[in-house]
Amino acid sequence: MVGIANESVVFFGHLSELYQLAKEGKIETKLQGSHTRPCKFWTAMKILSGIKNTIVIAHGPSGCAFGVKQAYKLTNCRNSGSPYESIITTNIDEKAIVYGGEKELKGAILEVDKKYKPDVIFVATSCATGIIGDYVDAIVNKIKPKINAEIMAIHCEGFAGEYRSGFDLVFRQIVQLMDKPDSESRSRLANSVNIVGGKMGPERTEIETDVKELRRLIESMGASVNAVIAGNCSLEEIKQAPSVAVNCTLCLDLGYAIGREMLDQFNTPLNSTILPYGISATERWLREAAKHLHLENEAEELIKREYGAIRIEFEEAKKYLAGKLAIVEGHDAIKSLSIAHMLERDFGMRAVIYNFHPWSTQARETSIDYLLETGLDPEILITKGTLAFGKYEAMVQTENELMEYLGDLNPETTVYFGSSMSFPNIPVVDLNAILNRPRFGYRGALKVAKCICTALEYSFRPRSWVTKKMVFPENSGLCSAQSLTPKLAQDLPDCTVYAGRERGKCMMS
Amino acid sequence: MYDELKFDNCNHSKDPMVGCALEGATGVLAGIKDISIVIHSPQGCSSTVSAAYDVHEIDFTKRKVACTRLFETDVVMGASSKLKNLIKEADSKFKTRAIFVVGTCAADIIGEDIEGLCRNIQPQINAKLIPLMAGGFRGNLYDGIELGLNALFPFIRRQEEKIPDSVNLIAPQANLNPTWWADLKWVRETLEKIGIKVQAVLPHDTSLEELDNAGLASANILLSHDAGYKFGLKMQEVHDIPLILSDIPLPIGLKNTARWLRAVGNYFGVEEKVEAIIKDGEDMAIDVLRRRGLMMIPRYRNCRVAVSADATMGIGLTRMLFEELEMIPELLLFRSPVSDSQLLLENELIDMGISPKVVFSADGYQIKQSLSENCVDAVFGSSWEYYLAEELGIKFVFDVFNPTNRQNYLNRAYFGYEGMLNFLENVANDWEMALRSKHINWEEYS
Repeated sequence: MVGIANESVVFFGHLSELYQLAKEGKIETKLQGSHTRPCKFWTAMKILSGIKNTIVIAHGPSGCAFGVKQAYKLTNCRNSGSPYESIITTNIDEKAIVYGGEKELKGAILEVDKKYKPDVIFVATSCATGIIGDYVDAIVNKIKPKINAEIMAIHCEGFAGEYRSGFDLVFRQIVQLMDKPDSESRSRLANSVNIVGGKMGPERTEIETDVKELRRLIESMGASVNAVIAGNCSLEEIKQAPSVAVNCTLCLDLGYAIGREMLDQFNTPLNSTILPYGISATERWLREAAKHLHLENEAEELIKREYGAIRIEFEEAKKYLAGKLAIVEGHDAIKSLSIAHMLERDFGMRAVIYNFHPWSTQARETSIDYLLETGLDPEILITKGTLAFGKYEAMVQTENELMEYLGDLNPETTVYFGSSMSFPNIPVVDLNAILNRPRFGYRGALKVAKCICTALEYSFRPRSWVTKKMVFPENSGLCSAQSLTPKLAQDLPDCTVYAGRERGKCMMS
Repeated sequence: MYDELKFDNCNHSKDPMVGCALEGATGVLAGIKDISIVIHSPQGCSSTVSAAYDVHEIDFTKRKVACTRLFETDVVMGASSKLKNLIKEADSKFKTRAIFVVGTCAADIIGEDIEGLCRNIQPQINAKLIPLMAGGFRGNLYDGIELGLNALFPFIRRQEEKIPDSVNLIAPQANLNPTWWADLKWVRETLEKIGIKVQAVLPHDTSLEELDNAGLASANILLSHDAGYKFGLKMQEVHDIPLILSDIPLPIGLKNTARWLRAVGNYFGVEEKVEAIIKDGEDMAIDVLRRRGLMMIPRYRNCRVAVSADATMGIGLTRMLFEELEMIPELLLFRSPVSDSQLLLENELIDMGISPKVVFSADGYQIKQSLSENCVDAVFGSSWEYYLAEELGIKFVFDVFNPTNRQNYLNRAYFGYEGMLNFLENVANDWEMALRSKHINWEEYS
């Protein structure tokens, strides 16, 4: 280990070793009291917000619905100009806490059906109504014949599970809305795929996003996309979803729950691989999809064509990078692992993931199992700042420990893949910056290559003292969410926040 | 006076425009320096606390928040020891002088005795522990602000003597101006200009010393028509500090600013100083508008408008729009219940001789319905109303309130004379942009 004083290091080794230690209880895997993530209600809502013409009735006090409305619904409008969508609260008060909120819920369902005429009504429970034990399932079942919309209860009380359990719960449940495939529907959609594991809703319209790139690749191969579930999909698309040739995961971690459920229930094949960052991951993603679409030849042609289009610049970048050390910010576990995979496999670099919280080994267990099976086992560095009490995404300590670690490293042989709001004296490549997209596919690989080349080309320029002082002023540092544009400020609840930016944030939308 | 609109299918379902009591309560605490918050809740409620800190634009490194992260077993078995341990950890790591221990829905309903627990472990804790139950079901954002303000009483020392010509400013954050800090600054600077000392702001960037000495103020001024009124009355009762100016609109527009200033002048006997400020302010504002805003006159005159805001902005704005800009306030949509300012609103409308349609505690559905069923040319609102009105084909939507799509690098007041110009500048720019239609087939004209 270079550079970093041993007393600052909590763990330095491979992912598999960390995983083993976590399993044996030899490293703390609980999040500290200051390290909160969204709760199950929030993550459930994030998926439900990606289904068009549905109304979620958040059965509880107004705050739960209001938070979701600000974070997701408003962002959807801002991202894409999509219509304003309501999210409803039953607005229960102290009286309802004492006597039950069932009357409010019944009334709300009937009112919502009349005034919004949605395709589906989702009734989402909150902590308050979960604890008082309102019999939501019975109400929903009883009221079904009286309303036009389809209706489904989602038990996503904030206390009822870890952060990601809300994603899994909703993904598994919306499978119940799907129609059993028959020969007619299978033949109609034989040339289609679903992209599963999306969330929130419409994408930003003004940039080339990762989902758009996957869609382009699928279509260039001669197939089509039935739906991005749940990224602005309709009930109709969901209903016919099981009849497609294959489900392709957008995010291995998020897409696996619904893909697995659809495989079990309807035998819909699942193409679940690592996030398609870089060439080798993209090739695996495409070939697996092509197998089920019976478009293997077309896929090979596409692969050849796509690589041909980026080859010169890509290989130029690769020359710079082979054998160099990449420090990859690890706040977003799956993304950092996928980036490490790309850097090792495509660019021949050595990747070290920094600031990977051991909590992720449990929260992302399924994905990590898969990645280890594929032979991906990057090095992980965890310093004390990551586990310190106090918000680790917003701690000067982790920045200082990073600087300490990088202190003795050669800026000519080390590249930092992380937020441009970190200020190491080595080239910084910020793959979350809005202009550095798409990151998936061949164009993504080229974009990454170009970002790297640009970072190296301008590494002679010291980082701006102005921006550094903006982020790390004396005696404080790391601004608030107010410093974000309105478009981004509302994205906060589902990301690890660093200086109010989406450092390590899963930017699937 | 006004015609209160009623809606079908809105008795049980609400598309909320304001948050819950937790956000309001922690939004008060976030305005106090050198305190930390231990929140006894599932982890999602922490996002609400973050939002409250954002309201005060507080640096991440200065936020001291810890959450017990309640899960199912905690809900079933109780989580007192978890809370106890977290308080101890927060005390040793945060090292703040006070810790507010906040219970949210889950802790509140399962009956966690936060008050008793704080009392029991206080001897082992360096920080002063203040328990506060703020389950979301206890009300809306504004109710929460009252809860939060109430939690400040233990810090305010009772003082027999009062400092003459000094005031506390209450609830500055209950205001939809996206940079409300500028309104607070305008009030503070204007008061100082006429020799009135601001003893404490309750709360924004307020130290525990300032809070301790808040009892020395000779008057309290409420900076919101949506929250803080009950606290003001209780301050009157407990600390013998009169609540003043709560019966007139806040200083929005020329006439309201003059009224507000004159009321301050009369109370403190500084009429002359106040008149000088009014004259300079009005001259400046009219002079600027003469040189840069003449087009306002034909554009705005008899334009039928909807105002979708809180009472803090909405009540004052109505007079400015009607009397000073010659607009016609057709619809007043208040996000808050306007319970403590109802009389003020009625008096204002009677005085102006207008009878707009009004909605209290307006939700998203009611705002949209009101806009679609009433003939309005323009809407004053936030980015919410911008999207709603756009969908309905209303061309002129002024994105002037929170949440906004507008970028403000510099804080801009809406209170006072420059405040009026700031507001009108935003309106003028949005108006100008709205006239750049994408739907004109310009080739026809080439």
